[in-house]
Parts: sequence; C-alpha cells; structure tokens
Amino acid sequence: MEKKAKKITFEDALEELETIASKLESGELTLEQSIQFYEKGVELAKFCRQKLEEAERKIEVLQKQPDGTIQKKSVKVKEDTGEIEDDEDIQGSLL
Amino acid sequence: MIEEIENNETVYSVSDITGILKQLIESTPQLNGVWVKGEISNLTYHSSGHIYFSLKDEGAVIQAVFFKHANKHLDFKLEEGMSVVVFGGVTVFEKRGSYQFIVYKIRKEGLGELLQKIEKLKEQLYKEGLFAPERKKPLPALPRRIGVVTSPTGAAIRDIIKVAMRRFPNIEIILAPAKVQGQGAVESIVTGIRELNNPEWEVDVIIAGRGGGSFEDLMAFNEEPVVRAFAGSKVPIISAVGHQIDHPLSDLAADVAAPTPSAAAEIAVPVKAELVAAIETHTKRMLRRLAMMVESFANRITLITRRRVFQNPMSLVENYELTLADIENRLQSLMQKRITGTKERLSRVKDLELIIKNRLQNYWHIFMMNASKLEHLSPVSVLKRGYSITLKDSQVVSSVRKIHKGDVIRVIVYDGSMQCDVQSVSSEVGFGKKG
Repeated sequence: MEKKAKKITFEDALEELETIASKLESGELTLEQSIQFYEKGVELAKFCRQKLEEAERKIEVLQKQPDGTIQKKSVKVKEDTGEIEDDEDIQGSLL
Repeated sequence: MIEEIENNETVYSVSDITGILKQLIESTPQLNGVWVKGEISNLTYHSSGHIYFSLKDEGAVIQAVFFKHANKHLDFKLEEGMSVVVFGGVTVFEKRGSYQFIVYKIRKEGLGELLQKIEKLKEQLYKEGLFAPERKKPLPALPRRIGVVTSPTGAAIRDIIKVAMRRFPNIEIILAPAKVQGQGAVESIVTGIRELNNPEWEVDVIIAGRGGGSFEDLMAFNEEPVVRAFAGSKVPIISAVGHQIDHPLSDLAADVAAPTPSAAAEIAVPVKAELVAAIETHTKRMLRRLAMMVESFANRITLITRRRVFQNPMSLVENYELTLADIENRLQSLMQKRITGTKERLSRVKDLELIIKNRLQNYWHIFMMNASKLEHLSPVSVLKRGYSITLKDSQVVSSVRKIHKGDVIRVIVYDGSMQCDVQSVSSEVGFGKKG
C-alpha cells in the first residue's frame, strides 16, 4: 500500500483528489462511503502537499572536473535579478 | 467609363488600365511572396517609422517600402549600399502610377544560401519524422528539478531563474553551461542536453535556449546536431530561443516551443501558490460536503429524538396500560352481567320445581283414573262376568281343532276350576241350543 502510494505522480494525486471532491459533491454516496472517500482525499492532499515541499530551493551548475568527470556546484543567485553571483568563476561550457 | 466611338473601338480610362495592371501584378505568383536580392540606395528612415529605399542591381531598380509594423523586428540597421535579400511582393500604387516592392523581411546578403540550407534540413528532418506530433512528450505537472542549457552569463538564465523562483520558490535548477553562439556553440549545446539526460542529475524537464539575437546569433539552434539533440532528449525538453519571425528548427524538434526563455520557465514551472490553493479547494469541498452530510444526519437524529416516544418513553407503555384497563373494565362488567343472569335463571329453576310437582300430581290423577278403567279389562273381571278359560295340558284352548273326543280339559271359571271329559267336538258355536 505504501509503495503503491509512492509510485503515483503529483498530477495523478491532484486529479484523483479533484475527482473525489466532485464525487462527494454529487451527493450520491452514503455517509459511510463519503467518509471513506474523504479519508482517501485527505491522504491524497497530504501527499500533494508533501510533493510540493519535496524540492529544496537551490541553483546548481554542472562543472567539468580536471579528471573529466562532471560535478554539480551550488551557486548563489541574486533574488531580484536571477543573476548568478561570481559567474566569472563558472565554466561557460561543459566542453 | 467605357465609351463607344464611331469605329466601335473601346476606350479605357486611366483608372481602368491601372486597375487591370494592379490586379495583374498582384495576382502573379512570381511577383508575390518572393525573396529578392539587391543593393540598398536612397535609404530613408521616415519619421512615421516606415523605411523607404530603392533596391537595385546592375540592370534595374525597384522602389521598396518597409512599413513600420513589418520593420519593428529588424535586428540590424540598414545602410546605404548594403547588399540585402528582401522578402515580400510587388504592388501598384495607383495615385502615383508606380509599382513598388512591399518588404516583410530583410536579411543581409549571404543569408540566402543559409536559409536555403535550413529549409532543406527542415524538409529532410520532417520526412524523417523528427517533428512528428506523436513524438512529443508531455511535460510533468510538478517538476522538482529543472535542467537548463544556456550561457551562465546570458539574459536567458537570469530570466529563467527569476521566473521559476517567483512561481515556485523552492524549485531546483541545474544549469549545464553552454556556448550558445559562435564557434563551438553547436557541440556545447548538444553536450549540455546529453548531460542533463543523465539520470544522475534527476532532471524532470529541460529548457534549452538563449535570448533574442540576430539571425546569425540564433543559427546554432538551426544546426542539425542541435536539432537532433532536442529530438533525442529522453527528458521532456522545451526550446527557448528568443526570436521574432522565424522559428529555429529546435522549436520543431522540441516537445514544446516557447518564444522566449521567460516563457519557457512559465511553461515548465507551475505556480506553487495555485497548486496549494487547488489542494485546499478540493479539501474544503470534501470537508464542506461531509460536514453537510453529518449535519443533516444530526438534524434527523434531533428530529427523531424530539418525538414523544423518546421524550417520554412511558407514553409508549401508557397506551397499552389504557387499553389493558379498558379490557379489564369490559371483562369485569361482562362477568357481572353473566353472574346476575345466571342468578336470575337459578331463581327461575325453583319455580320450575313447583310447576313440575303440579304437573306430576296431574299426571298421577290421570293415571289413577285410567288404572281403574284397566281393571275392568283384567281376566278376573271377565271371568266374573261368566266367561271361562279352557286349558288342555296347561295350554289355553282357543280353537276346537286341538280338541278331540275323549280329551280331558280343565275349565277355569271365576271362583274355581273343573275337570271335564269331551263328549263331542263341533265347529258350530251354538249359544241358544245345547249340542
């Protein structure tokens, strides 16, 4: 069950959440079914919120190392302009 | 208008002729939607924004107009004597009696061959199916990490970072730095796209491109290796090349084409607040509905408990008690009636006794009377009256047939009996005479 939940994508979860909300609103469900769907919906909403918070704000630049491998390097950016600070230290190409 | 003169020859007006000419010229395919090569002379940047010049070569000259709405995307300055290739068509200006070339696009000369080369490549890749709609991959609704292939110092990366972070504050961006123009740009872009396809970087969507520039500046995105790299990307890829008129071929090969890097970031990155709001909306919708349901059930329960039975449960029993009391009463009065009735009938039975006694006495009287009558019928009284009974061998003799002469018979009379011998037997009954 847990593994299955992890496999669904954000968009699937959001879509299912919407479907459940619509189903509930249709008024065709019994109280018991409604509670079941609601619980499922709450789970999906939780999953969606988690997904939204999964990413950690960061900007990285790939850089070619002296040994030829490629590594990522975190950089700072200026919030207002989106400009990468110290961009002179950054290689302009992976070649 | 057309007038008839004596020898029946048609006479046209100047407008007629010019009209026919205009129609003829403007409907001729070779004169419209064509590229024309020439040298600029008599160049005028008019204050209205229109550009006027003559286009000439060794043998001819043609007037040309580059209207404001068409020339606003021009990314270089026209100069006297400049060799150019213009795109447009010939039109007739009736008032002046002149024809001129209306310009839609201008390229510096030398680009013509390049354009042809691009057209050829486009056709070839199209035939190969590289631009086929069914090859297009959908973009993820929620990319966690965006890969960007562009120059680390250009406007493109700044715009992408700015827009992406504004829309989704905790977005992750990974840049594969690339040269986007000049020597080595093609290899650099191709390497960037390939590198970001490496699963190690966990990129959900790639934006590859650059800000606006001249036709030559954007040329790398028309080169076959770059176009193929776009088409071959396993990760969904957006072509983000700033352009005004011509789409670079990368636009056709990518999963999605954006007119600028900023637009690409808007396409790739969702607005987090909107997603949060959507989740909240759906949650609230569910909650509202459920609350409504629970409330309606609660109301029903309240209504039910308000009924008398639940307010005063004894009322349920009271009813039965009343019925029971009623039945009791009725039974009691019924019993009473029965008892009285029986008593009455019992007293009536005593009267009967008397009646029966009387009746019996009556019957006794009648019986006695009849008994005395019977007495007269007894044989004794019959014998008294002179009758006798004849017996033979103790048998009563009622007929002469059983008697023979010489038989001894017994004759019983009222007060005794006699032993007699039979002297004769006759069947005659003679009461008067003696036999």
